[in-house]
Amino acid sequence: MGWIAMQESVMYLHGVVFLVGAAHTLRVNEHVRVDIFYRGFTPEKQAKVDIFGSLVLLMPVNLFIFFISYDYVMSAWRILEDSQAAGGIPGVFLLKSLILVFAFTMVLQGIAEVIRNILKISQQKHTNKAVAK
Amino acid sequence: MEYLSLLMFLAVCLVLLLGYPVAYSLAGTALIFAGIGAFFGVFDTSYLQAVPSRLFGIISNQTLIAVPLFVFMGVMLEKSRVAENLLIAMGQVFGRLKSGLAISVVLVGMLLAASTGIVGATVVTMGLLSLPTMLKQGYSPSFASGAICATGTLGQIIPPSIALVLLGDVLSSSFQQAQLSMGVFSPESVSVGDLFVGALIPGMLLVAMYLLYVFIFASRQIDSSINKNLHDEPISNIGLFAALFPPLILILTVLGSILGGFATPTEAAGVGAAGSLILALINKQLDIQKLKDVMMSTTKVTSMVFLILIGASIFSLVFRGFGGEELIEELFANLPGGVFAAVLLVMVVIFLLGFILDFIEITFVVVPLVAPVLLAMGVDPIWLGIMIAVNLQTSFLTPPFGFALFYLRGVAPPEVKTSDIYRGVAPFIGIQLLLLACLAIWPNLITWLPSLL
Repeated sequence: MGWIAMQESVMYLHGVVFLVGAAHTLRVNEHVRVDIFYRGFTPEKQAKVDIFGSLVLLMPVNLFIFFISYDYVMSAWRILEDSQAAGGIPGVFLLKSLILVFAFTMVLQGIAEVIRNILKISQQKHTNKAVAK
Repeated sequence: MEYLSLLMFLAVCLVLLLGYPVAYSLAGTALIFAGIGAFFGVFDTSYLQAVPSRLFGIISNQTLIAVPLFVFMGVMLEKSRVAENLLIAMGQVFGRLKSGLAISVVLVGMLLAASTGIVGATVVTMGLLSLPTMLKQGYSPSFASGAICATGTLGQIIPPSIALVLLGDVLSSSFQQAQLSMGVFSPESVSVGDLFVGALIPGMLLVAMYLLYVFIFASRQIDSSINKNLHDEPISNIGLFAALFPPLILILTVLGSILGGFATPTEAAGVGAAGSLILALINKQLDIQKLKDVMMSTTKVTSMVFLILIGASIFSLVFRGFGGEELIEELFANLPGGVFAAVLLVMVVIFLLGFILDFIEITFVVVPLVAPVLLAMGVDPIWLGIMIAVNLQTSFLTPPFGFALFYLRGVAPPEVKTSDIYRGVAPFIGIQLLLLACLAIWPNLITWLPSLL
């Protein structure tokens, strides 16, 4: 395939890093927050912010990205879109598919975050009750 | 409907303060506004049709590929203890001078800044290694922590720097947009390389100003009653050479290949990443586990940066859909004082936003909105880029949300109070503002070097 394909392979690797890595980064909580107030919140309040954010901000955004990109990606599949450069990697449709993979994995991780934070709150309440007794 | 865009901006600031990840605070709030706007028929949803191609544009952007590569290089150098060796060697060289340790902290900070470019890594390394030593030598906690935080942020402005890569990318598209709006259909371009060259003199100037400040005030700060015979063992020349030489070569290779026109910043970043691997190998610090750790944190930092970019691009599409751009243009056009007042206003706004946001958000959200207007008014793109970069550097130091302060707080011993750190960085913020003023008065400091190449 030659050098053009090799140069393009960097772009493919790059795309995979952040589009596939974003959901994992959410899982380990390393997306930047403006935590002036968040830092001082009780764990319960932090969990509530995260549930709110997952449901109202994260899920709608990723569902939106998924559905608005769906046709865009499908039309790339229909023609099995090739590289614009001669001798490039004939897989632009695969690269574009990463957008859907990104949105989908983020929604999944969003659901996981909601469940995790609900558990956190209920455990917190449980231990609080135990302490009160 | 333009004022809705301002309302949205305010709403985003409020949502950000809740503490949910920035990327989704931006995109989510924008989408909610878009939804409300579309419901009342005041928002044209066709703007949102551009989202998929914007996303693909982010994936296929050649310039931004430099980001993960530079991150990898920085993390690798940090984890392979290149930074640590440098600090120890420099401390021994300057240890005999009265203000020696403080001077060596600034110099090492500069080298680390150039090689790693990661503020967090630099501040943490220096905080762990130098802060205890400085305190032992009798420096006051506020002076010591101020010097460490400030030099840790030099990575923003001294090339090769990730901040300049991001800024360069945003500015080059803003510059194209500005020229097209002026009817120039064969637009000139501004590249990340131009910004790197332009940042050299201001970066060195800033280091010189730090050194001067440290030199003058360090001797007053030291409590002479404390015995400071800490660095009596002399370091061998070979030891110093071994610590200093490899990172210097790496920096020179990366910068030289860009300045000499042999490589694009992205390619040079690749050279740097490969070079950092070789350095780690020579230092006998490379094993599979370490490589995995480095790649893992590179992935996380890269995902974090690009997710903000994705969020910010959705935000700015909606902002544009509400006519926010016309609003900004109108505002600047009606501003008394012309170009100077417009630049001043932008600088003040960026400085103030720096208290709550950090450079990535400001670069992706604010710069694309204001830069095209300023550039269309005839402002030099390289000058504007460096002014913004120096200004953004202060965002790392301004309490309460300065990243450098957090990082240092995380590793500082408990006897260093948070208020000490805040007081310690204040003079350095002053120095940066002084530099900004100098650059505004003498723009040649920035534009002279790029004009030669």
